[in-house]
Amino acid sequence: MSASTVPAEPLVSPEIVSSIFYGAAVSDALVLLVAEMVAGTPRLTWGNEGAVQLLGYALSDLCALPVSALVPTLRGGEIKLLLRRERSARMSLPVRTASGALVETVVLCTPSPSGRMWTLRLVPAANEQERALRATADAHERRFATLTERSPIPTLLSEQGMRLAHVNDAFCSLTGLQAEQLLGTGWMAVVHPDDLDGVIEQVVAVLGGGDGEAQARLVRDDGTERTTVIRFAHLFTPGVGAGFVGTIEDITDRLAFEARLAHQANHDPLTGLPNRTLLAGHVAGRFRPGSSGLACLFLDLDNFKVVNDSLGHAAGDELLVEVAARLRATVRPGDLVARFGGDEFVVICEGVDEADAVTLAERIGAALARPLRLGGVDVRPHASVGVTVQTAEHTDAEELIRDCDIAMYQAKAGGKGRITVLDQQARAEARDKLRLVTELRQAIEDRAITLLYQPIFSTADGTPVAVESLARWQHAERGAISPATFVALAEDSGLISGLGLLVLDETCRQLAEWDAALGVSAPGRANVNVSALQLDGNLAQQVADALARHGLHASRLSVEITESALMKDPASAREVLTELRALGVQLAIDDFGTGYSSLAYLRHLPVDCLKVDRSFVAELADGHTEIASAVIALAKNLGLSTVAEGVETAEQAAELARLGAGFLQGFRLAQPMTGAATAAWFADRVR
Amino acid sequence: MTTHLVRPGADMTPSLAAAPTFDLDAVLASIDTMAAQKPVAAQVVSVANAEDTDAKALSQTLALDVALASRVMKLANSAYFGMRGRVTSLQFAVTVIGFTTVRTMATVALTDLDDESRLPADFWRMSTGAALAASLLAPRFGERPQDALCLGLLAPVGIALLHHNDPEGHRELTAAESTCLGRRTAEVRRYGIHALRLTAVALEQWGFPSSMIAPLSAVDDLAAHEGALLRAALELASRLTVVDYVPVPVEELTGGVLREDAVPPVLDRVAAEADELRLAMLGD
Repeated sequence: MSASTVPAEPLVSPEIVSSIFYGAAVSDALVLLVAEMVAGTPRLTWGNEGAVQLLGYALSDLCALPVSALVPTLRGGEIKLLLRRERSARMSLPVRTASGALVETVVLCTPSPSGRMWTLRLVPAANEQERALRATADAHERRFATLTERSPIPTLLSEQGMRLAHVNDAFCSLTGLQAEQLLGTGWMAVVHPDDLDGVIEQVVAVLGGGDGEAQARLVRDDGTERTTVIRFAHLFTPGVGAGFVGTIEDITDRLAFEARLAHQANHDPLTGLPNRTLLAGHVAGRFRPGSSGLACLFLDLDNFKVVNDSLGHAAGDELLVEVAARLRATVRPGDLVARFGGDEFVVICEGVDEADAVTLAERIGAALARPLRLGGVDVRPHASVGVTVQTAEHTDAEELIRDCDIAMYQAKAGGKGRITVLDQQARAEARDKLRLVTELRQAIEDRAITLLYQPIFSTADGTPVAVESLARWQHAERGAISPATFVALAEDSGLISGLGLLVLDETCRQLAEWDAALGVSAPGRANVNVSALQLDGNLAQQVADALARHGLHASRLSVEITESALMKDPASAREVLTELRALGVQLAIDDFGTGYSSLAYLRHLPVDCLKVDRSFVAELADGHTEIASAVIALAKNLGLSTVAEGVETAEQAAELARLGAGFLQGFRLAQPMTGAATAAWFADRVR
Repeated sequence: MTTHLVRPGADMTPSLAAAPTFDLDAVLASIDTMAAQKPVAAQVVSVANAEDTDAKALSQTLALDVALASRVMKLANSAYFGMRGRVTSLQFAVTVIGFTTVRTMATVALTDLDDESRLPADFWRMSTGAALAASLLAPRFGERPQDALCLGLLAPVGIALLHHNDPEGHRELTAAESTCLGRRTAEVRRYGIHALRLTAVALEQWGFPSSMIAPLSAVDDLAAHEGALLRAALELASRLTVVDYVPVPVEELTGGVLREDAVPPVLDRVAAEADELRLAMLGD
């Protein structure tokens, strides 16, 4: 702001005034001029040494110069702006020198009290050093501008808030817009509306100092979207304020690649359906304990193995793809269809009750049943469907799917192409079974499955010649569990191998113990039952190992295999029997006569003994001797021995002996006993 | 203030005697008086001009003038700066809108430009139009947008000063001349100085940097690059504001830096944003 002119008061002596005037007059650092109104025109009337040097005029020439010639940019009346009557003025003006050159100066003008005379002080606006500094700064700025302009990295420059002062070509290319459309706040229209708040938040933080970054989708002029990471850096310009530099990384392709990987990890490559992993996450994300409305449909294709085996795997795959497509087309929008594995599919629906879920299952059944041509054959796919709707008893998402799986097995068990809703009883039974499996596993690990031994007698002299090992499970809470129950359970739950090994090893151990205790009075042989599921390439080695472990000869062991087990895969069964036979163990067919086996086939099996099923022995009491007699005769003709099971009366024993049975076994003859009791029993018999 | 109209056909050569009863000295004196009457605004201008100022110091001074501070907050949160209501402190507002803009707003307050009753019709439409046009075009001319915005906003200060001192005469003068150049010529004839030059004098007196003043001084020199942006901005604002305006080709005004085909999108943006800026500046 300008200051008022102070009237000159004679406060100092004339000598001092004279001295100051002299100093000013000869100074070349100070440029001083005096102007006066001469005949209505302001003219210079005096100048000091500094003025003569700066302007290049001789003092005599300077002293007649119109002020307008000195400051040519002040045209006409504008001289008044400088030569003011009562106030000093300060103006940046170019002054013209004698050579005609213009020198940028700040002109400070102070009027005399009369208002007709002015003192002008000229200060050159910028010296060489300042000009050089400015040139350097300008060069820096140009270098930066060039760098960003040519950079392949999209770059933004804001000098105020969200307003951009500069964008480079790379950013224009990224958005498909021209710089003019992006400058100012124009670029905000490019940021996806849902992401703009996040960007502004970051800018707010960055304007306050520091760095930041935001992920934002940019919408190009052609409507396509690019996903980017914008990294912001604080930018402060002294005297101006705060802005930011933003650099942009286009991560669209990277995200797409990651999404493809994630999709592959969560989807079945054949059908494109979500896989088990995604299903688990999907259900877990929607499962709220105690609520309802979440339903699970578990589908298992009926006869899929038949299609695979008869038409080939390509046809099987084609069927799965078609089933997937039909499922997708049948469910409601928002329902999830997943491939659980193999020929199993799961549908998850929300906001439905049991009736809705069953209706959907029926609709799915109808959609699947439409004929489909596979390898030249018309196939009508059917599925067994288990349905479960969430109840208060479901504590987690996994339980819901597990129950649905159970329901599907129930549907399957009830006949193919059925829909079964898991009822409370079935659910409880299934849970109970699960718990029992866990306990059975523990019992096997703890060797809590014990063995009882039932003597087998020779009909020739009535002496005990062998024992059969019988597994028993005494449950702490449930009491004795029937072998029919726990063996089946072990077969269903993959525990049969462990159970079989336990029986085999314990029997051998017991034999060795009896040998040690009784010497020649010990049981000559032990019969061990083997499940169909144990009939694999490992069995012979497992038997050999057990015998070796307890120092027994192979002849001390007889392996009993049910007829039905042999008939599941006769070729491989024959191989396993051959290996066992090679070891030297005896082989017996258990429950003979109940398995519909081909007699022709039987002839080729390397077995030593047939065990006459207890049902045929029981018939003897009613006078029906036909089957027992036929079996015994058949064995005799094939050169095999026979053991009759379930002998309960002396009459049965006598009749069997008469029919030619070699050996007898039954509750009436001797009950199954513990190892110790068996030892005592055999010791007694000797005495 | 006595008003003297120039006789039609009078000598066009400007001279001190062109409007002998129009007291330029009084107008210049009023510039100082304004500062004295609004000391806080004057202080803000002064603080904002200091080389070593920071947002904290500036906001502390600004806080002394509640009306001005609230306008700064409003402007910082306006669509123009795109901050969408995120500016909640005065210091941050100063950071967002920039020191130059704060200074400009203080100057607006200083010169009573916020009192529309004392201004020519369309004054604010013209100045916000010029400001936005200057800001949008600034990068083409190698200028900072915010400096250009402020230059555009403040350029018409001289018009307001002339209007304050000679409302009728200036209104008639404006009505009679349809081009920017014509008006300036008429102002020189009548007052010995045209409005933009008067703005330059006022800004210089208030200590604005020469970068703000040089374009105002060079506005009549078509060969001078530093006046080109201001000429273009005023031209665009006139096209939007003045009824029956006869456009002057922007190539002529800018030495070819700006071409006519680039003008329409800029006019669209100016038209879209001008009202918002005007409301923020006036605090309505």
